[in-house]
Amino acid sequence: MTWHMPTSVDEALRLRADNPDATVVAGGTFVGVLTRQRLLDSEDWISLQHTRELTALNDAGDLSVGAMVTHRRMELDPAMISGWPGLAAAFAVVASPRVRNVATVGGVLADADYASDPPAMFVAARAVAEIASVRGVRREPVEDLITGHYATSLAEDELITRVIVPRPTGKAVYRKLRTRSQEDRPAVAVAVARRGEEVRVVVGAVSDRPQYFPDVCASWQPVEASAREIADEYAARISYIDDSRGSAAYRRHVVGVEVRRALMGVST
Amino acid sequence: MSRVNPRIDGSIRYAIDQRVPGSWHLRLVRSTIPSGRVTSVDTSLVEEGVLVITPEDARSYGSYGCQIEDQQMLTEQPRFVGDPVLAVVAATEQAARDAVAVIDVDYDETPAVFDEIEAIAATAPLVHATHATSDSDSAYFDMRPQDGTNVCHRFRIRTSALQGRTEPDLVIDPPALDDDPLRDAFAQADVIVEDTFHVPAAAHVPMEPHATTAQWVDGRLEVTTGTQTPFNLRQDLAGLFGLPTEGVRVVAPPMGGAFGAKTFMRTEALTALAAKLTGRPVRCVLDRDEVFNELTRHAATVHMRIGATREGRFVAKRMWAYVNTGAYADCGPGVAQKMGYAGVGPYRFDHVAVDSYCIYTNLPPGGAYRGYGAMQSVWASERLVDELAARLGMDAVELRRMNLLRDGDAFCTGEIMHDTHFEELLDDVAKAVSWRDGRAGKGVANMLKGMQTPSKAEAEIHQLPDGRYEVRSGTADMGQGATEMLTRLTAEYLGVPMDQVVAPTPDTDRVPYDTRTTSSRSTHMMSRALEAAAKDLLNHGSIGRGFVSNEGGLDPDTGQGIASSHWHQGAASAQVDVDPETGLIDVTTLYASSYAGRVVNRAGAELQNEGSMIMALGSALFEEIQYNQGQMANPNLSDYNIASALDCASISHRVMEIPGAEVHGLGETAVPPVPPAIGNAVASLGYHPRRLPMTPERILTSRDEDTP
Repeated sequence: MTWHMPTSVDEALRLRADNPDATVVAGGTFVGVLTRQRLLDSEDWISLQHTRELTALNDAGDLSVGAMVTHRRMELDPAMISGWPGLAAAFAVVASPRVRNVATVGGVLADADYASDPPAMFVAARAVAEIASVRGVRREPVEDLITGHYATSLAEDELITRVIVPRPTGKAVYRKLRTRSQEDRPAVAVAVARRGEEVRVVVGAVSDRPQYFPDVCASWQPVEASAREIADEYAARISYIDDSRGSAAYRRHVVGVEVRRALMGVST
Repeated sequence: MSRVNPRIDGSIRYAIDQRVPGSWHLRLVRSTIPSGRVTSVDTSLVEEGVLVITPEDARSYGSYGCQIEDQQMLTEQPRFVGDPVLAVVAATEQAARDAVAVIDVDYDETPAVFDEIEAIAATAPLVHATHATSDSDSAYFDMRPQDGTNVCHRFRIRTSALQGRTEPDLVIDPPALDDDPLRDAFAQADVIVEDTFHVPAAAHVPMEPHATTAQWVDGRLEVTTGTQTPFNLRQDLAGLFGLPTEGVRVVAPPMGGAFGAKTFMRTEALTALAAKLTGRPVRCVLDRDEVFNELTRHAATVHMRIGATREGRFVAKRMWAYVNTGAYADCGPGVAQKMGYAGVGPYRFDHVAVDSYCIYTNLPPGGAYRGYGAMQSVWASERLVDELAARLGMDAVELRRMNLLRDGDAFCTGEIMHDTHFEELLDDVAKAVSWRDGRAGKGVANMLKGMQTPSKAEAEIHQLPDGRYEVRSGTADMGQGATEMLTRLTAEYLGVPMDQVVAPTPDTDRVPYDTRTTSSRSTHMMSRALEAAAKDLLNHGSIGRGFVSNEGGLDPDTGQGIASSHWHQGAASAQVDVDPETGLIDVTTLYASSYAGRVVNRAGAELQNEGSMIMALGSALFEEIQYNQGQMANPNLSDYNIASALDCASISHRVMEIPGAEVHGLGETAVPPVPPAIGNAVASLGYHPRRLPMTPERILTSRDEDTP
């Protein structure tokens, strides 16, 4: 078994290009579970633990979050709390402090796990991922990065290096509905971010990827009737999964409730 | 004296840490079908040097089972998904895993049955063709298997006026009152309520998995294993391998949790066989999904009817409990018995009739689980008391108070109650939710739970050459604080500092017989054995011996006799909000009060009480093993949640102490009353929960069906 420990992004990208079968480890919360359950068996590992560049968090202009910034920092960094409180709130409700202390921003996007909290809020907040490889750098909105169940647009040699989030101009609300333990993932998650008179509603954890319908959001007005209409339309349009956190029918019902509540949360 | 608890500083050595150099590793090939026969096995790809053990190798050793001998070490006729059909032993764990992965087994599948109610139907496939009861120490009452059915034990209670009637052997559908041969029990009742309740299977989730090492030394079998039942295990292993009991040595290191999961024979027999066949020490450690499948809490469906006078005096109770024991009985008959009388509750009735059936299905075996059958029937009985209070238009606390058992009252078994504190417990929990200031969103529940009766406990105290004292006791430490209890009490009885007392791991070669570390009996029974041993030592020199026993038992057909030599008494209350649009329950207060008699170790007692509440909170709100055609769907800690620290903010409790009283057990007391306390609080807001766990989805549905 080989562990590669790159100390720069350049080195990490070269390793990625030279070892297409290697598994990248960031915080290890996802890869660790897969390995323990013997669902993943890798001979070659690239750990980003020593890639210090990836831990930068800057708030000059837009928010720029390195891929190795932890959930805990997203929750507690003063720049986050004052500038991106909605995003900080979504990170604050992930699992437990033990998980948040190690789980990373790049990791949660690259895993593309349908039941993670942050992706829906990133989409609502118009976040863009910066993706690098030895071939160059590209940017992709998070809604396009995550393409399906544990699936992303990342090529074999690519690495998420940072996430860029514009400074919000309106309220953002993250509602996480848990049906089991308070440490559980959501059965239904609703992220709403307002930008002037526009709104983005994104529903997470109910389908293969975050659900966002721009045409439905376009009709929004900050009144209850509009919130109700959009909630009903979201509830009807999504194709739901059925798992141990809730049936498809329950999720459909709750999306109708929680989207309305989230929209009312940004209406005043 | 102030040394750090070895569980906290990491210096403790659990069963899983007990590695023997040169051990080979055992892994199991498990059935992928719930019922049928193995038709062919292909081991051609298994590497050389790996031993494959077949049912043929195990057959001559016969069957085992603590109460019914229905289990073989390996079977060609699997009865649940996960039943071991082959075993492999290899020099490394990886080689054993690799071998399992390349073995191909073909099956001929036969019809299976999973639901306890479907399994009792006349047309249901039989999980076992015949029933063979065990003569082990663990079978401490007469079994009533129903031949030609999946019922391996039937326990009944019939109070005196209801005995000697002509009744069917087996009641599949509880009859309406008018069709019940015992309907006259309700003649004096003005109001009768009845309902059906369900509790699913749940997982114990000990942090440490089952871990066993076995070795044969000069014809003797030595087993080091995480077990709550070293002496039962010794007897059963000796029986299987044709040895005198002294030919088996069981060492029981501290466990990283057990909660009932490490009782009776688990993987020890097969590990011993593997050690015998290889001539080497063999180690077996289960994976997490295997721990889930090894033993579960019994799912149960309970139908109950209560009758009372207009004034609220309880007249009669009729109960049918259908207990899903899975593919093997394990201690299911005992669980069915305890579920039977715990469901009567701490109340006076003129008449009681209970039928409790222990039923085979093609699911993983049900076994001991903290609360031992009481949780399932207390969920039904305490929910139904609230339904009765609503029908009578009475206060739920006052209705209970009016009917509680007090000293000198007879329980439904005929035994006379003593040292009862049900009313103080009820008052305490009602106060914790400010019961007098309005009832909306609040609920209470009472319970009584028996302790293993009959049983024996023996202890020795030896003065060591350096002047310190060694406690020799069969009480196993599974995180409940047994070692500290033994050390603390011995020091107190001898009048020496605690650091002058050592309490080594139970070792059947060194410690005297003890029934087992279950049913919250150890602090109650072993403390008195220790007290006698200390007295003996102080009187007679350097070795002291003490012995106590409790006598009793119940007639399986009438339930009359002594159910328990002392009673675990507890109550709980809850205050909740329910989101009417999502069905989410927010528990704002959860309180439990457990009677402890004299407290030996306050910090330890409080941790036990809290631990019970946390476990019960999970069962109340979200813990449930899910199956898909007999295959467990959530045998991991992502798909099966247990309560986390974040879920416990609402918990407070009391260990009720009475100075000078005898020492009571309290390891499980706060488990059974918690789900109905929450359920009754939820019901006060217009819902009607009958099934655990109370998932938001079920709560929403319970309102749709029932809101008047």
